[in-house]
Amino acid sequence: MARALGIISFSENHIWVEGLETYRSIPAFSFLGRYRVVDFPISNMSNSGIDRIQVYIRRKPCSLVEHIGTGRHYNINSKSGYLQMVFADSQEDKDYYNTDIKAYAENLDRMVKASNTHVVIAPGYMVYTQDFDDLLKQHDESGADVTLLYHKVDNAKEAFLSCDFLNLNKQKGVESIERNNGTTKNRNIFMDTYVMRKEIFLDLVQAAQKASSMYTMKHIINDMCGELDIRGVAHKGFFAPIDNLKSYYDANLSLLDQKNVKSLFSEEWPIYTRTSDSCPTQYYETADVKSSFVSNGCRIEGTVENSVIGRGCVIKPGAVVKNCVVLADTVIGNDVHIEGQVVDRLAKVTRMKEIIAEPEKPGYVKRNDMV
Amino acid sequence: MKQNSMLAMILAGGRGSRLHDLTNKVAKPAVSYGGKYKIIDFPLSNCANSGIDVVGVLTQYESVLLNSYVAGGGSWGLDARDSGVFVLPPREKADANLDVYRGTADAISQNIDFVDNYDPEYMLILSGDHIYKMNYAKMLQAHKDNGADATIAVIEVPMKEASRFGIMNTDEETGRIIEFEEKPAEPKSNLASMGIYIFNWKLLRKMLVADMKNEESSHDFGKDIIPALLNDGKKLLAYKFKGYWKDVGTIDSLWEANMDLLDKKNGLDLDDRTWTIYTEDVPTLPQFISKEASIKRAFITQGCIVEGEVQNSVLFTGAKVGPGAKVIDSVLMPGAVVEEGAVVTRALVADQVKIGSQAVVGSADSEHIELVAKNVKG
Repeated sequence: MARALGIISFSENHIWVEGLETYRSIPAFSFLGRYRVVDFPISNMSNSGIDRIQVYIRRKPCSLVEHIGTGRHYNINSKSGYLQMVFADSQEDKDYYNTDIKAYAENLDRMVKASNTHVVIAPGYMVYTQDFDDLLKQHDESGADVTLLYHKVDNAKEAFLSCDFLNLNKQKGVESIERNNGTTKNRNIFMDTYVMRKEIFLDLVQAAQKASSMYTMKHIINDMCGELDIRGVAHKGFFAPIDNLKSYYDANLSLLDQKNVKSLFSEEWPIYTRTSDSCPTQYYETADVKSSFVSNGCRIEGTVENSVIGRGCVIKPGAVVKNCVVLADTVIGNDVHIEGQVVDRLAKVTRMKEIIAEPEKPGYVKRNDMV
Repeated sequence: MKQNSMLAMILAGGRGSRLHDLTNKVAKPAVSYGGKYKIIDFPLSNCANSGIDVVGVLTQYESVLLNSYVAGGGSWGLDARDSGVFVLPPREKADANLDVYRGTADAISQNIDFVDNYDPEYMLILSGDHIYKMNYAKMLQAHKDNGADATIAVIEVPMKEASRFGIMNTDEETGRIIEFEEKPAEPKSNLASMGIYIFNWKLLRKMLVADMKNEESSHDFGKDIIPALLNDGKKLLAYKFKGYWKDVGTIDSLWEANMDLLDKKNGLDLDDRTWTIYTEDVPTLPQFISKEASIKRAFITQGCIVEGEVQNSVLFTGAKVGPGAKVIDSVLMPGAVVEEGAVVTRALVADQVKIGSQAVVGSADSEHIELVAKNVKG
C-alpha cells in the first residue's frame, strides 16, 4: 500500500467548457479518441503505486460514473485498494459555494480513518503525466510542508487564462498563487496538484472553512504562503488544462504531432481506460486518411485529415473531415464537408453539407444532434 | 442460486502444427486473429453471449499463455459470482497417475469431478480453434424440443471438399443422424461436423466412464463416442448452422480468414453490437495515421502506427508500418514492424517480427502465403 491517498479534484466555478460540459463533467470528456480526461490523473496515481483514490464529482455525474465503474481497468488492487467516487452535493443553490474544501469537509471522516500519511491532489480536468512517487520523494527531500506542481510556459498571454500561476522565489518557495490575467507571457502555471502530509491537509481544510465559506484549497494555500513552507516543483512534458472549448480542441489536435505524443505517453507509463470492445477500424476502397488518430470500431469511406476520430464513427463516401475532433458514434454523411469542429457523441451530420470553422475558433456540433 | 443447466467445455489443447512457427510457443486457440482477437475469444464470447456461466477450458499443448489469457474470465464478462472460466490442464489425482489427455473425450473424462461440482443437465463441447458466431442457447432449445440424446452442429460444405471433414449422414426430414463418417473418400452428404456437441450429461458421463476403460478406444468424440451412441440407437440430431465458420488450420486459411474481414458485407460482422466478440483489453494509444500514409481496404486496430502504404491488409495491435514501406495483401500480427521502405506482399508476419528497412518479403504471384516468423534484416 502506498503512503499517499489520492484525491482527484474538480474544476473551479469559473471554468466552463461550452457545449461539451452541458452533458458531462470535464473529467468525463473524451480525449484523443479512446481516453477520457480522468484516465490521465487516475493512471498517474495507479502507476505511482497510489491505490486508494477518491474522485470528487460535482456536476453531471452519469458519464463519469459509467466510465469509472468499479475502477478495475485502472489496475488497482480490488481488496487493499479502492477507487471511490465522492459526490459533492452540498445542496447549495449558488454554485460558488460548492468548493473543493466543502467537498473534502463533508468526507473528512473517511480521510481521517485512512491509514495513509500523505495526500496527493490532482485535478480531474488537466491532461499530463507525472510520477507522483517521484514527487513525494522530492517533497520529502525538500522538507516542505506543501509541494505544488507547476508548468513553465511562454504563452500565458494568450493561453491558460483560466489558470493560476505561482509566484516563486529563487529557492522555489511559493510566495503567492494568482490568477493568470494574460499580462505576461512567461508564467509558472499552477497545475492544481498538491502533495502534503495528511495532518496539514486536515488543518488546511479547517482553516479554509474558518476563513470563508467560499474558500478553495488554492485560497487557503495562498494565505499560508508566509506561515508554511510551500514549494514549487516544475513539471516536464505535455501539459494541457481543459478549461474551454478551444483548449480542449487544441489539446487533442496538438497530439497529432508525434513529438507531443512522446512527451505525454511512454510504454512504461500506460494510460488505462475502459474498453468498449469495439472491433478494429475498417478502411474501405475510397478512404483517404492522413495525420489523424483513429479509434476502433470506425468505418471510413471518406477523407479524414488532421483530426481525432472517436470510437465507432462512420465517415461516408465523399465526406471530408478536416481539423476536427469527432467524438464516439457519430456519422458524417455523404459529401459532407466539416472543418474545425468538435462533433459531440452520436451526432449525425448528413443534411448540412458544409460546416466550417477556423481552428482559431473551433465550432461545436451538439450531442445527439441531427444536422 | 442460478441453475447451471448447461456447462461448456472448450477443447483447447491442440497444437495446430500446420500453422508451423505460429504455434511454436502457443496452442492454436491462442493464435491471434482479426486485428485484436485470439481464436479462443470466439467460443468464449459465444458462451458469454449465449448465457452460459461456467466454461472449462481444457489445455495441454504449450498452455502457459492460454492459461494466463483466459484465467479469471473477466475479459468476457464471465466473472460474476456464479460464473467462471476454469483452466483445466491434465493433473495428478489420488486414484490415477498423471497422464496427458489421450483424446478429446479423455479430456472431458479426466474432469468428470469438475463437472459433477456443477451437476449440469447438459454439456456443451466446443473446439477452441474455430472462428464463428453462434447462439448455443438456440441449439440447446432445438436439442430439448427434439428430445435428442445428443445434438451436433453441422454446416454445409462444398461437396468436393466434404472428404476433408467428419460428415454426418442424416434423415433429411427429421435431421436425425444415421451415420457418421470421418473424412470419407466418397462422401454421401455435405453436412460437416463443426465439433460442437450438446449431450445430456448423465448419458455422456456414462459413455465416458465406459470409454476410459476401453483399451481399444482412441478416446475421441468423433471416432469413438459418436459412433458408440449411434450403435446404441441413441437419438442424435444434426443442428444446421448457417453463417460464417472457419477452421483456420493452415497459414493460407488463417490469412484468408483475415482477408475475409476486408469485405464490406463479410459474414462474420465483428461490428455487430448485438453479438460482441470480447477480448483482452490492452492499454495502447488509438491508431495513428501519419501525413505520408495511404490506406486502402484495410482492417486496423489500436496501437498501430501507419506511416507508409497499406493495401488490402489486416494490422494487429501495435503493428507499425514505417515511412515509404508497403504492406499489400498481408497480415501483420501483434507488434510486427515493417521498417522504412520495406515491401511486404502476400505474407503473414508473425508477432513481434521486424522486417528491416528496404527488405522485401513475399511476392504477388506466390502460390502460398509466406509466413515470416523471424526478423528479416534490412
